[in-house]
Amino acid sequence: MDKLMRLLAESCPAIDFAGETALIDNGILDSLDIVMLVGELNDAFSITITAEDLVPENFNSAEAIWALVQRLQAE
Amino acid sequence: MSINSAAFLLFLLVSAAAYYAVPKRWRYLVLLAASGGFYLAYSLRAACCLLFTILFTYGAAQLLAALHRRERAELDIEREDRAGVKKRGKRRRRLVLTAALVLNFATLALFKYLDSWMGTVGAFAGLFGVELRFRPLNLLLPLGISFYVFQTSGYLIDVYRGRTSAEKNLLKYALFAAWFPQMIQGPINRYDKLQPQLLAGNDFNADNLKYGVQLMIWGMLKKVFLADPLAGAVGELYGNYGQYPGAALFLGAALYCVQLYCDFSGGTDLVRGASQLFGVEMAENFRRPYFARSVDEFWRRWHISLGEWMKDYLFYPLALSGPMNRLGKRVKGSLGPHLGKLTGPCLSTLIVFLAVGIWQGPGFSNIAYGLWNGGLMSLAMLCAPLTGKVRERLDLRDGKWWFRGFQTLRTLLLVIIGRYFSRADSLRQALGMLKRTVLHFGPAGPGLFTSFGLTGFDWLRLGIAGAVLLAVSVLQERGTPIRKTLERQRPAVQFGVLFIAVLLLVACVYLNTDYTAIMYVYENV
Repeated sequence: MDKLMRLLAESCPAIDFAGETALIDNGILDSLDIVMLVGELNDAFSITITAEDLVPENFNSAEAIWALVQRLQAE
Repeated sequence: MSINSAAFLLFLLVSAAAYYAVPKRWRYLVLLAASGGFYLAYSLRAACCLLFTILFTYGAAQLLAALHRRERAELDIEREDRAGVKKRGKRRRRLVLTAALVLNFATLALFKYLDSWMGTVGAFAGLFGVELRFRPLNLLLPLGISFYVFQTSGYLIDVYRGRTSAEKNLLKYALFAAWFPQMIQGPINRYDKLQPQLLAGNDFNADNLKYGVQLMIWGMLKKVFLADPLAGAVGELYGNYGQYPGAALFLGAALYCVQLYCDFSGGTDLVRGASQLFGVEMAENFRRPYFARSVDEFWRRWHISLGEWMKDYLFYPLALSGPMNRLGKRVKGSLGPHLGKLTGPCLSTLIVFLAVGIWQGPGFSNIAYGLWNGGLMSLAMLCAPLTGKVRERLDLRDGKWWFRGFQTLRTLLLVIIGRYFSRADSLRQALGMLKRTVLHFGPAGPGLFTSFGLTGFDWLRLGIAGAVLLAVSVLQERGTPIRKTLERQRPAVQFGVLFIAVLLLVACVYLNTDYTAIMYVYENV
């Protein structure tokens, strides 16, 4: 999780990932942010996030992103 | 049956009365009957086309659902090679989805684009001395085909992804695809949002009736008092652009921005209001787009349902695809990390807006319109670090009102330039108008405002209607809920506002024998 938090802070320094729980629903992350972030996540955790994984439930908070990373690593 | 006509209002009244009169479990059948009746009144042949789409997308969704079930059953048995089972299942589903989408969009292409594309092929062949002649099919464009093809395709992709389960009841699915208010102007609704409302058998709710009627009236006022009067002037300026100075042409493109917004958003308000009478809230399509401070933001406020569709079903799959990833890595190696990171998003944006341009209609001017918007957005992404540094150096923060105003005006200018392409009949015309605007801007002259079919009185009426629309938009932009605010006023004030609005419409539309309903711009796409 620490690695993810560091990556998120580097990718989007203006966003408070620790406190936000509606990153997508409130439009804090836009489509470009998401695509860039997915690229970073894929490289850092050796996973492949596809368009099918891009639902608000997977990206609304740092915890949700971490859960997605763990699920994809387990597959 | 025009949605501005008295016949449509009567049809709504009868349908709503029947809806609330029957038991809850039958109410969706009333909606289906109303949708079928509305569409059959338009054209039997178009209804057959819609039925074909409903039947084959229904079948494809059932097949996708069966493949999901088969994969789950195989996973229950298989303990070793679970990844292999998933991979094979996904491959089978992808095959079905691809075939269904190809067929769905082929239907759209047949009716909307084939004649134009064949003509283009013939013209190109002629350049090389080859004579190719195609007899145009001149097929009647089924009402709402651009909307229902996208809506049913989105549903199929959701079933493929497992985000929604396939509707087993054919009649219930048919209602989702054929819900009549969405057939004129969209919006492109999502299955998970629309279907539960259509099937709920909603109870009568006075607020739904009140807000629905208010929204319909507001939409009709925009259409009748702004969009329709401007249509003639805009048509004259675009049609005879060689006779006007550049200033008039620029004004024409700006007026087209107003006309199109009032036409499209007015029509959307009307159908969303009509839908609300049945307790069904359709997707929002406009959020005061001309207040946007960037082209990117404009597209998040303009035709929102199409933008969301494009984002979820085209932009993300493209930007995250293997080939785009590999290309990005190659660019990163040769041109640096910034360009490498943005290769996928920029190329995907260009492709998405190419699709948006083609969605608007055949012809190179629409393609140019799409590329203009996609190009501007890609350029903004590429230049973001540079513009960020300039803003920091000049201390240009978002909090400064004049800077926000500058950004809005700059965006408006770019949108107006784009409208040269989207309204022109051909790319040649759009470029001719642009050339004339730049090289022969003046003399504007005192007759500029009255020389293309609008009298002084017309301008006064347009000015008043425009001022009301602007005031309402500014209030909404500041977060004031207009209808709630009106509700807080004294009953006499509320009644007065509604009375004036209805009186204006009755006098100018229903009792005015000179009034001719002008077709909605996007009614025939």
